[in-house]
Amino acid sequence: MAKVPRNFRLLEELEKGEKGIGDGTCSYGLSNGDDIYMSDWNGTIIGPGHTIHENRIYSLKLHCDDNYPDSPPSVHFISRINLPCVNQQTGKVEPTKLSCLANWKRNYTLETVLTDLRREMANPHNKKLPQPPEGSSF
Amino acid sequence: MLEKSLLIHRIPNNETETERLIQEPAPGISATPHEENLRYFDVIIAGPSQSPFEGGVFKLELFLPDEYPMAPPKVRFLTKIYHPNIDKLGRICLDILKDKWSPALQIRTVLLSIQALLSAPNPDDPLANDVAQHWKENEKAAIATAREWTRNFAQE
Repeated sequence: MAKVPRNFRLLEELEKGEKGIGDGTCSYGLSNGDDIYMSDWNGTIIGPGHTIHENRIYSLKLHCDDNYPDSPPSVHFISRINLPCVNQQTGKVEPTKLSCLANWKRNYTLETVLTDLRREMANPHNKKLPQPPEGSSF
Repeated sequence: MLEKSLLIHRIPNNETETERLIQEPAPGISATPHEENLRYFDVIIAGPSQSPFEGGVFKLELFLPDEYPMAPPKVRFLTKIYHPNIDKLGRICLDILKDKWSPALQIRTVLLSIQALLSAPNPDDPLANDVAQHWKENEKAAIATAREWTRNFAQE
């Protein structure tokens, strides 16, 4: 298998993201449409149903450095959320506490990260965790 | 003869085609494979004379996917350029990179076609809509902007 270089991989992800991924509960796009190196991304997660997150919309920032996708992106919540993998001071998703970041593989994508976080919200241990007021930010 | 040997060699790997590219670069074009990924090339195209891109040095990147040569190479500009068929992310609207691709084409042909696209912008088949509109409404002004961008962004 040819190793797809970072930039062409991110172009593929961009095109997939523009078409819309899965059922639309997770989405992402470039923060700045003329950022030729495609480093900064905005993500959105719609809170899973039948959990405390239902109907909430969470905004995130994802940063892909030069080593992406050999290394995972860094991920921050902008919207305040109470989850064990999210640093409560900064909103940073702790890489050691989210399985897809801790066990990163080159074929994982920004979509993998967002869907993994959404799964985390619906996890039986987390789905009833008390949450900060809706609309507040880190 | 040369073509035949290329077809034989480039399916398992693109070494022969790569060697030929390095040995016989077309005028104003160079392509250098990355050491750690021989399917990934740094490309430089000099802006053609008599075009708004004259005097500019444009960096591109090119990647040969697994399906190559059954699928086209992927190419984009890394240098900012004001052209109706090239968007803000450097993506190129060129038929041979899409539905008009043929396995008989080569990296060299692709790069020559991109060089030709710089000489002949086609605002009727735009990728960058705002640039194409500018080109159609006031070609002189659009060309002046393209020259200015060449001076500002496409210098070595």
